[in-house]
Amino acid sequence: MKRAMTSPDSAQPLILVDQVSLDRGNRRVLDQVSLTVAAGEIYALLGGNGAGKSTTLSALLGFLRPASGALEVAGIDPVSQHDQACARIAYLPENVALYDQLTACENIAYFMALAGAEPDRASMDRALDAAGLQVEARDRRVSGFSKGMRQKVAIAMAVLRDVPVLLLDEPTSGLDPRATADFNALLARLKARGTAILMVTHDLLGAADCADRIGFLASGRIVEEVRPADGIDVLALHHRYGEAAAA
Amino acid sequence: MSTARLVARNEWRLMQRSRVARLALFMLLALATVATFTSIAHRNASDDLRARFQAQADQEFDGQPARHPHRMVHYGHFVFRPLPALAAFDPGVDAFTGNTIYLEGHRQNSANFGDVRQSSLLARFGQLTPAFVLQVLAPLVLVFIGFGLLAGERRSGTLRVLKAHGVTPRDLLLGKGLALAGLAGLMLLPALASLGWLVIAAEAPALPALALALGYAGYLALWVLGIVIVSAIARDPRNALVTLLGLWALTTVLVPRVAPDLALAAVATPTRLETDIAILRDLRKIGDSHNPDDPHFAAFKARTLAQYGVSRVEDLPVNYRGLLALEGEKLTSQLFDDYAKRQFEQQRRQGAIVSGFGLASPAIALRSMSMALAGTDLDGHRRFLTQAEAYRYDVVQRLNRLQAEAVTYSDDSNRNKDPEAGRRVRIDPANWSKVPDFAYQPASLAEKLRSALPGAAVLILWLLAATWLLRRAARRLGEAL
Repeated sequence: MKRAMTSPDSAQPLILVDQVSLDRGNRRVLDQVSLTVAAGEIYALLGGNGAGKSTTLSALLGFLRPASGALEVAGIDPVSQHDQACARIAYLPENVALYDQLTACENIAYFMALAGAEPDRASMDRALDAAGLQVEARDRRVSGFSKGMRQKVAIAMAVLRDVPVLLLDEPTSGLDPRATADFNALLARLKARGTAILMVTHDLLGAADCADRIGFLASGRIVEEVRPADGIDVLALHHRYGEAAAA
Repeated sequence: MSTARLVARNEWRLMQRSRVARLALFMLLALATVATFTSIAHRNASDDLRARFQAQADQEFDGQPARHPHRMVHYGHFVFRPLPALAAFDPGVDAFTGNTIYLEGHRQNSANFGDVRQSSLLARFGQLTPAFVLQVLAPLVLVFIGFGLLAGERRSGTLRVLKAHGVTPRDLLLGKGLALAGLAGLMLLPALASLGWLVIAAEAPALPALALALGYAGYLALWVLGIVIVSAIARDPRNALVTLLGLWALTTVLVPRVAPDLALAAVATPTRLETDIAILRDLRKIGDSHNPDDPHFAAFKARTLAQYGVSRVEDLPVNYRGLLALEGEKLTSQLFDDYAKRQFEQQRRQGAIVSGFGLASPAIALRSMSMALAGTDLDGHRRFLTQAEAYRYDVVQRLNRLQAEAVTYSDDSNRNKDPEAGRRVRIDPANWSKVPDFAYQPASLAEKLRSALPGAAVLILWLLAATWLLRRAARRLGEAL
C-alpha cells in the first residue's frame, strides 16, 4: 500500500482537530478542542476517565459527527469521506479485538485484505518481527494470547499498513515494562518513517518519554499543552494533572 | 475481491472452525437425508399399496356373480386416492384426511364429512419429512449458528475495528448475510436432491418442483435476513439469541398451532356425528325411496304414470322400482352435495383465516404454498372427495338404470316369492365390468400454481419487509459505533 502523504518535515498537519465540539445525548463531551499532529510527530493526549480522549479518537475515525468544528486526517474529512480517511489511518484500540478462532497471521491477512492489501507471509513475518511477536505464536489461534501478544499483532498490522496516521488508545496499558520499552522503540521507528501518531493515555511518564507534545484534556477541553523536549517539570505536571489522568 | 465477499469468506472460515456450527449442520443434514429417504420410501410404499388395493377392489367388483343390480348398489366399491409424487417431499394433509372412500348407494361415506379440522397445519408437526426439516428445524439451526454474526462482533470489539478498516455497515451485513445464506443453501441441498430425484425418477411435475425449491429457498432467505437484522440491532449475543428463539417459537410453532383453533372458533364446524344426524333428519323430510307410500314418491309415481300414459306401474315399459331407485338416489345425492358444499365453504373460510395468519407467520404461508404445489393440500383432498362422489353417483345410477331396464317390474316384485323370478332378476355379470373404473384427476399445473399463489405472495411480502428492515438495521449499525 502506498502512503498518501507523509513527510517528517511537512508543515501541513496530518491530524487536524480544529475547534471541535461534540455532544453525546444532552452532554457536551468535547468543547472547542483543537490540536494538530504533523508527520513524524507523536502527540499524547492525557486525561482522566470521561475527559474526552477516546471520543476524540472516535471522531477522528469518523465514528462520531462533531456538532461544530473541523476534523481532517491526511487532509480528508473522516466523517464525510469515511472510507478514504480509513485508508490512511491505522487504529490500535485499548483492548485489541481479534478473531479468536483465527491465527495471528490469519487475523492480519484478513484485516489487511479489508484494507485492500494482500501481504505475503514474508512481509507479515517482518512486521511481526518488528512488533516482537514470537515466531512460534504466529500460527497459533489468538484465543490463548495475552493482552501484550494481541497488541503486538495489532501493531504488526499498523506497520504493514504503512499509513500516514496512527491512532493509539491506551497502547501500553497492561504491557509489562519490557513490552512497553519495545513498543516505544517501535513508535520511534514509525515516527522516523514520518507517521503522525496520536495516542491517548493515562500514563504521563510514558507519554513524557516518547511524545513530542502532550495535551491535557479535562471536561472536554484541552487545558494545557507541553513539549517534553522543552524541559518540562514532569513532577509538577503530575501533581497538576497526573492524579486526574490516572483516575 | 469485494469487501462483502471477504467478510463472507471469513465468516465461513469461522463457522468451519466452530464445533457448535459443525455439529448443528451435520445433524440437520443427517436429519434431512434420513427424512428424504424415509419420506420417499413411505410415499412409494403407500402409493403401491393403494394402487394394489384399488386394482383388487376393481377386480372384485367386476368379478361379482350374477346379481340383482340393487344388490350391487349395496355391495359398493372402494376408491383410493393415488398419492402425488411430490407427496414424498410434503405429504400435507394426506395422513389426516384419509385416502379411501367406500362408495355405496344412499350414503356418502368416509372422509367427506371427516373431522379435517385438525389437519390444517400443525397436526403434521412431528412427521419427519423434507418439508418439516426445512420449515421447522432448518431455521432453528440457522438461529443457533447465526445469532452472534454481528452481536458477537460488537461484543468482542471487532465491529469497531472493521469499521476503522473502512468496512461499511452495508458490506458487513451483506457479507454476513451471504455467509449464512451459503449455510442455508447447504441445508437446502438434500431437499433439492430429493426434488430432482422425484422429477427424474418418479415423474413428478418439474414446474411445481422448481417452485417448491424456490419457495423454500425464499423462506430460508427470509430467516437469514431476520437473523442478520436481529444480530445487527441486538445489544449483545445473548439478547440476539433470546429474541431469535422467541421469533422461531412464535412463527413456526405457536402461531401455526393457534391459527387453526382461532379459525375454528370464528367459523364453527359441526362434528361428524352432528352432520350425520342432520342428514338423517333431512332425509326423512324429503322421503324414502324404499317406501312407496311416501308422499314425495307418490307424486313421483303419478308423474311417471302420466309421462308414459299408463295407469298402473305394472304397465310401464320399464321397471318402476328401478325408476324409484334413480329418483331416490338423485334426491339423497342432492342432499349430500348440499351438506358437502356447506362443509367445504366452512373449511374454505377457516382456511382463509388461517392463511391470513401467514402475515404473522411466514411458516403458515410456506406450508400453504408447499402443500398446494405438492398436491397434498386440503383442496386436493376436496377434489378427491368431489370426484369420488361424482363417481359414486354415476355407478349407482348406472346400476339403478340397469334395474329399470334389464329387470322387469313383475320379476322384481316377485323375486322373493318366485324362485324363477329371483333367478331372472340376477342379471349378466358382464354388466359389472362395463362400469368404468375410478380415475382420479389431480389438479392441473395452472390450478396448483394458482393455489400456491397466496402463500407465495405473503412470502414475497415478508421478504420485502425484511429487506426494508435490513436497510434500517444497516443505518442503526453505522450509528451504533
